[in-house]
Amino acid sequence: MHTTTKIRIIESAIQLFNEHGLANVRLQQIADDAGISVGNLAYHFKNKEAIVLAVYESLFQEFAQILTHYLQQPSLADLEQQLDLYYTFFSKYRFYLIDLFEARRSCPQVVSQWQLFVSKMTLQIRKRLDYCTQRGLITPEPAPGAYDTLTNNIWMTIVFWVPQQVLRGLPLHRNQFKCAVWGQISPYFTPKGRDELNLILAAQHVG
Amino acid sequence: MRPSFSLSSELYAQVLEQLGNLHFTETLGYDADLNFFRNDLWLCETAVIHKVTSRKGTWEIALLFAHHLTPLCFLSRRITHHTCSKRAGLIADLMRRLAAKDQRGTLRIDLSRFFMPPN
Repeated sequence: MHTTTKIRIIESAIQLFNEHGLANVRLQQIADDAGISVGNLAYHFKNKEAIVLAVYESLFQEFAQILTHYLQQPSLADLEQQLDLYYTFFSKYRFYLIDLFEARRSCPQVVSQWQLFVSKMTLQIRKRLDYCTQRGLITPEPAPGAYDTLTNNIWMTIVFWVPQQVLRGLPLHRNQFKCAVWGQISPYFTPKGRDELNLILAAQHVG
Repeated sequence: MRPSFSLSSELYAQVLEQLGNLHFTETLGYDADLNFFRNDLWLCETAVIHKVTSRKGTWEIALLFAHHLTPLCFLSRRITHHTCSKRAGLIADLMRRLAAKDQRGTLRIDLSRFFMPPN
């Protein structure tokens, strides 16, 4: 029961942070949304900062889980699955990036943890490109450093696609997100890579 | 916030590199690789020990066969199971004595046949 209430509080906090932003949510709102009293809320989390830290802890745990989905199968379907997870993550925690600069002041440890994840994420993308090159799915690097730039572009698309849609007031669609990422890699596909991607997309369409 | 275990970027890059290489170095085996499993006449030339383990509410009897000339060639086979542990132990002992070629335990294993690397 204890854990369930805590999880409920965290889920309510995430939802309210997404709707109103980190700075504009009060403890009373979180308690109301979770269906508990403020006293009960204070029993579980002594202040808002404790809730914010718990939310970030849950966020980082989920992100670490996504990073474990690396090359579990030797095909492009692996990246497709990871993109699914990234989309779910960045949609669920969209307040996070929008409020990152606010968090930089209030919780500096959050920023350092995030930077650690960013470096792992970019490394995974870069190594994936190497792996796809070795398998002949994408062309060898056309010029030195070209795939480092591509890595940065893919990373930016994955991380900032959801916030930019929110900022522009556009709807969020999973497929559009994935298309945006595949679109970055698309010019480098060999016929073999294009065939493999088409097979995966066709299988999803049928499914 | 709990401090989490982390790898340095260089080490993480190496791990990812090795993971990528794994998909190229790990290739499919040949059908003949499983011949030792299908052509099990070699089981007649083996030392046998029995193993009784609790599994899904019953006592499962397994026999472990190891070839006395190539000791790294071994196989564990589940034979049967019983609900009574004493009965399972007794049956397992009888089965082992029936299966083992060297019932008196006079065969010696030559350690040099293991080809174990020093590290």
